[in-house]
Amino acid sequence: MRPDRPIRWLRPALILGALVLLAGCATTPVQPWERGRLARWDMRWDPDPLQAAMTNHAYFSKEGTSGEIGAAGGGCGCN
Amino acid sequence: MSAIGWRSALAAVLLAAASASFAVEPGAVAPGFRLAPFATANPVALADYKGKVVLVDFWASWCGPCRQSLPLYDKLRAEFSADDFDILAVNLDEDSADARTFLAEHPVKYTTLQNPQGDVAKAFGLKGMPSSYLIDQHGVVRERHIGFEPKDIDALRHEIAALIGKPTHAP
Repeated sequence: MRPDRPIRWLRPALILGALVLLAGCATTPVQPWERGRLARWDMRWDPDPLQAAMTNHAYFSKEGTSGEIGAAGGGCGCN
Repeated sequence: MSAIGWRSALAAVLLAAASASFAVEPGAVAPGFRLAPFATANPVALADYKGKVVLVDFWASWCGPCRQSLPLYDKLRAEFSADDFDILAVNLDEDSADARTFLAEHPVKYTTLQNPQGDVAKAFGLKGMPSSYLIDQHGVVRERHIGFEPKDIDALRHEIAALIGKPTHAP
Protein backbone atom coordinates (compact mmCIF):
# COMPACT_ATOMS: atom_id res chain seq x y z
CA MET A 1 0.00 0.00 0.00
CA ARG A 2 1.38 3.38 -0.96
CA PRO A 3 1.26 5.90 1.91
CA ASP A 4 0.07 8.84 -0.32
CA ARG A 5 -3.08 6.97 -1.45
CA PRO A 6 -5.85 6.71 1.12
CA ILE A 7 -7.41 3.34 1.68
CA ARG A 8 -10.51 2.93 -0.52
CA TRP A 9 -12.88 2.07 2.26
CA LEU A 10 -11.68 4.84 4.57
CA ARG A 11 -13.94 7.61 3.21
CA PRO A 12 -17.20 5.64 3.24
CA ALA A 13 -16.29 4.28 6.67
CA LEU A 14 -15.69 7.79 8.02
CA ILE A 15 -18.99 9.05 6.59
CA LEU A 16 -20.84 6.05 7.98
CA GLY A 17 -19.17 6.59 11.35
CA ALA A 18 -20.18 10.26 11.33
CA LEU A 19 -23.78 9.35 10.49
CA VAL A 20 -23.90 6.83 13.31
CA LEU A 21 -22.52 9.43 15.72
CA LEU A 22 -25.02 12.04 14.45
CA ALA A 23 -27.85 9.57 15.02
CA GLY A 24 -27.13 10.00 18.72
CA CYS A 25 -28.38 13.60 18.36
CA ALA A 26 -31.64 12.36 16.85
CA THR A 27 -33.18 11.17 20.10
CA THR A 28 -36.76 12.38 20.09
CA PRO A 29 -36.89 15.79 21.74
CA VAL A 30 -39.47 16.50 24.42
CA GLN A 31 -42.55 17.77 22.58
CA PRO A 32 -44.41 20.89 23.75
CA TRP A 33 -47.30 18.78 25.04
CA GLU A 34 -45.00 16.45 26.99
CA ARG A 35 -43.71 19.07 29.42
CA GLY A 36 -46.22 18.42 32.18
CA ARG A 37 -43.69 16.98 34.58
CA LEU A 38 -41.11 19.63 33.74
CA ALA A 39 -43.70 22.31 34.54
CA ARG A 40 -44.21 21.02 38.07
CA TRP A 41 -43.41 23.39 40.91
CA ASP A 42 -40.94 20.97 42.48
CA MET A 43 -39.04 20.70 39.19
CA ARG A 44 -38.00 24.34 39.43
CA TRP A 45 -34.34 25.20 39.95
CA ASP A 46 -35.33 27.20 43.04
CA PRO A 47 -38.65 25.89 44.29
CA ASP A 48 -38.59 28.47 47.10
CA PRO A 49 -37.24 31.89 46.01
CA LEU A 50 -37.02 33.23 49.61
CA GLN A 51 -35.10 30.18 50.81
CA ALA A 52 -32.77 30.48 47.79
CA ALA A 53 -32.09 34.17 48.52
CA MET A 54 -31.24 33.40 52.15
CA THR A 55 -28.99 30.49 51.19
CA ASN A 56 -27.19 32.66 48.64
CA HIS A 57 -26.69 35.43 51.20
CA ALA A 58 -25.15 33.06 53.73
CA TYR A 59 -23.06 31.42 51.00
CA PHE A 60 -21.46 34.55 49.61
CA SER A 61 -20.78 36.13 52.96
CA LYS A 62 -19.42 33.00 54.67
CA GLU A 63 -17.53 31.51 51.74
CA GLY A 64 -16.14 34.78 50.42
CA THR A 65 -17.19 33.82 46.92
CA SER A 66 -17.70 36.26 44.12
CA GLY A 67 -19.18 36.08 40.70
CA GLU A 68 -22.78 35.36 39.83
CA ILE A 69 -23.92 35.11 43.39
CA GLY A 70 -22.87 38.67 44.29
CA ALA A 71 -20.11 40.57 46.04
CA ALA A 72 -17.76 38.71 48.29
CA GLY A 73 -17.72 39.34 51.97
CA GLY A 74 -14.98 39.03 54.55
CA GLY A 75 -16.53 36.00 56.17
CA CYS A 76 -18.08 37.96 59.04
CA GLY A 77 -21.61 37.44 57.71
CA CYS A 78 -22.37 41.08 58.35
CA ASN A 79 -23.10 42.30 54.79
CA MET B 1 -20.39 3.48 -3.61
CA SER B 2 -20.29 6.21 -6.28
CA ALA B 3 -20.46 9.93 -5.49
CA ILE B 4 -24.04 10.09 -6.81
CA GLY B 5 -24.98 7.14 -4.65
CA TRP B 6 -23.67 8.84 -1.55
CA ARG B 7 -25.43 12.07 -2.44
CA SER B 8 -28.78 10.37 -2.89
CA ALA B 9 -28.32 8.52 0.38
CA LEU B 10 -27.60 11.84 2.12
CA ALA B 11 -30.62 13.43 0.42
CA ALA B 12 -32.81 10.59 1.67
CA VAL B 13 -31.56 11.07 5.24
CA LEU B 14 -32.15 14.84 5.08
CA LEU B 15 -35.64 14.38 3.61
CA ALA B 16 -36.51 11.96 6.38
CA ALA B 17 -35.34 14.54 8.93
CA ALA B 18 -37.40 17.27 7.25
CA SER B 19 -40.59 15.21 7.28
CA ALA B 20 -40.16 14.66 11.02
CA SER B 21 -40.67 18.41 11.61
CA PHE B 22 -44.03 18.47 9.78
CA ALA B 23 -46.64 20.91 11.08
CA VAL B 24 -50.15 21.84 9.99
CA GLU B 25 -50.00 25.35 8.51
CA PRO B 26 -52.86 27.69 7.54
CA GLY B 27 -54.26 26.61 4.18
CA ALA B 28 -53.95 22.90 4.95
CA VAL B 29 -56.88 20.59 5.62
CA ALA B 30 -57.05 19.92 9.36
CA PRO B 31 -56.19 16.31 10.29
CA GLY B 32 -59.32 14.45 11.39
CA PHE B 33 -59.60 12.97 14.86
CA ARG B 34 -62.15 11.24 17.08
CA LEU B 35 -61.67 11.30 20.85
CA ALA B 36 -63.57 10.73 24.07
CA PRO B 37 -64.78 13.89 25.77
CA PHE B 38 -64.67 14.46 29.53
CA ALA B 39 -68.39 15.09 29.88
CA THR B 40 -69.90 12.11 28.02
CA ALA B 41 -68.91 8.62 26.91
CA ASN B 42 -69.62 9.08 23.19
CA PRO B 43 -66.54 10.00 21.13
CA VAL B 44 -66.61 13.32 19.32
CA ALA B 45 -64.97 13.91 15.93
CA LEU B 46 -63.73 17.07 14.30
CA ALA B 47 -65.84 16.07 11.29
CA ASP B 48 -68.98 16.51 13.44
CA TYR B 49 -68.30 20.26 13.29
CA LYS B 50 -68.26 20.52 9.51
CA GLY B 51 -70.27 23.51 8.30
CA LYS B 52 -69.26 25.60 11.32
CA VAL B 53 -66.21 27.69 12.04
CA VAL B 54 -64.44 25.80 14.82
CA LEU B 55 -61.53 26.71 17.06
CA VAL B 56 -59.53 23.62 17.99
CA ASP B 57 -57.62 24.47 21.15
CA PHE B 58 -54.86 22.26 22.52
CA TRP B 59 -54.26 22.82 26.23
CA ALA B 60 -53.01 21.22 29.45
CA SER B 61 -53.68 22.03 33.09
CA TRP B 62 -49.95 22.54 33.83
CA CYS B 63 -49.65 25.31 31.21
CA GLY B 64 -50.18 28.78 32.67
CA PRO B 65 -51.37 30.61 29.53
CA CYS B 66 -53.74 27.70 28.79
CA ARG B 67 -55.41 28.11 32.18
CA GLN B 68 -55.80 31.80 31.43
CA SER B 69 -57.33 31.14 28.01
CA LEU B 70 -60.15 28.79 28.97
CA PRO B 71 -62.56 31.27 30.61
CA LEU B 72 -61.84 33.84 27.85
CA TYR B 73 -62.58 31.28 25.13
CA ASP B 74 -65.81 30.38 26.92
CA LYS B 75 -66.87 34.05 26.81
CA LEU B 76 -65.83 34.39 23.16
CA ARG B 77 -67.89 31.35 22.20
CA ALA B 78 -70.99 32.94 23.70
CA GLU B 79 -70.55 35.96 21.42
CA PHE B 80 -71.45 33.94 18.33
CA SER B 81 -74.38 31.78 17.33
CA ALA B 82 -73.88 28.09 18.09
CA ASP B 83 -74.79 27.33 14.45
CA ASP B 84 -71.90 29.43 13.17
CA PHE B 85 -69.06 28.92 15.62
CA ASP B 86 -67.91 26.43 18.22
CA ILE B 87 -64.82 25.53 20.20
CA LEU B 88 -63.42 22.02 20.44
CA ALA B 89 -60.74 21.68 23.07
CA VAL B 90 -58.19 18.87 23.17
CA ASN B 91 -56.63 18.31 26.56
CA LEU B 92 -53.08 16.94 26.57
CA ASP B 93 -52.56 16.20 30.28
CA GLU B 94 -50.77 12.87 30.65
CA ASP B 95 -52.98 12.22 33.64
CA SER B 96 -56.53 13.18 32.67
CA ALA B 97 -57.40 13.46 36.38
CA ASP B 98 -55.41 16.74 36.48
CA ALA B 99 -57.62 18.13 33.72
CA ARG B 100 -60.79 16.91 35.45
CA THR B 101 -59.80 18.76 38.62
CA PHE B 102 -59.09 21.94 36.67
CA LEU B 103 -62.34 21.70 34.67
CA ALA B 104 -64.30 21.11 37.88
CA GLU B 105 -62.88 24.37 39.27
CA HIS B 106 -63.08 26.31 35.99
CA PRO B 107 -65.90 24.79 33.97
CA VAL B 108 -66.34 25.66 30.29
CA LYS B 109 -69.45 25.12 28.19
CA TYR B 110 -67.68 23.80 25.10
CA THR B 111 -66.59 20.20 24.57
CA THR B 112 -63.17 19.15 25.84
CA LEU B 113 -61.67 15.93 24.52
CA GLN B 114 -59.06 13.72 26.19
CA ASN B 115 -55.81 12.97 24.39
CA PRO B 116 -53.29 11.88 27.06
CA GLN B 117 -51.23 10.03 24.42
CA GLY B 118 -50.81 13.27 22.46
CA ASP B 119 -51.18 11.61 19.07
CA VAL B 120 -53.57 14.30 17.83
CA ALA B 121 -51.08 16.99 18.92
CA LYS B 122 -48.46 15.10 16.95
CA ALA B 123 -50.71 14.93 13.89
CA PHE B 124 -51.08 18.73 14.04
CA GLY B 125 -47.34 19.16 14.69
CA LEU B 126 -47.77 21.45 17.68
CA LYS B 127 -44.95 23.97 18.11
CA GLY B 128 -45.92 25.26 21.53
CA MET B 129 -48.50 25.26 24.28
CA PRO B 130 -51.22 26.32 23.98
CA SER B 131 -51.85 26.08 20.26
CA SER B 132 -55.15 26.85 18.62
CA TYR B 133 -56.29 26.34 15.04
CA LEU B 134 -59.17 28.27 13.52
CA ILE B 135 -60.80 25.91 11.03
CA ASP B 136 -63.35 27.08 8.49
CA GLN B 137 -66.67 25.51 7.44
CA HIS B 138 -64.88 23.20 4.97
CA GLY B 139 -62.30 21.86 7.41
CA VAL B 140 -59.42 24.03 6.21
CA VAL B 141 -57.09 25.59 8.79
CA ARG B 142 -57.27 29.37 8.35
CA GLU B 143 -55.31 30.67 11.34
CA ARG B 144 -52.87 29.18 13.80
CA HIS B 145 -52.06 30.73 17.16
CA ILE B 146 -49.16 29.57 19.30
CA GLY B 147 -49.15 30.71 22.91
CA PHE B 148 -51.86 32.85 24.48
CA GLU B 149 -52.25 36.37 25.79
CA PRO B 150 -55.62 37.87 26.75
CA LYS B 151 -55.30 40.47 23.97
CA ASP B 152 -55.22 37.65 21.39
CA ILE B 153 -58.98 37.29 21.88
CA ASP B 154 -59.63 40.53 19.92
CA ALA B 155 -57.77 39.31 16.85
CA LEU B 156 -59.46 35.95 17.10
CA ARG B 157 -62.89 37.58 17.33
CA HIS B 158 -62.24 39.45 14.07
CA GLU B 159 -60.97 36.33 12.34
CA ILE B 160 -64.03 34.34 13.38
CA ALA B 161 -66.42 37.11 12.34
CA ALA B 162 -64.69 37.36 8.95
CA LEU B 163 -65.01 33.62 8.38
CA ILE B 164 -68.67 33.57 9.40
CA GLY B 165 -69.32 36.69 7.39
CA LYS B 166 -71.37 38.20 10.20
CA PRO B 167 -70.13 40.64 12.80
CA THR B 168 -70.14 39.53 16.42
CA HIS B 169 -73.12 40.65 18.49
CA ALA B 170 -70.94 41.53 21.47
CA PRO B 171 -69.73 45.08 22.06
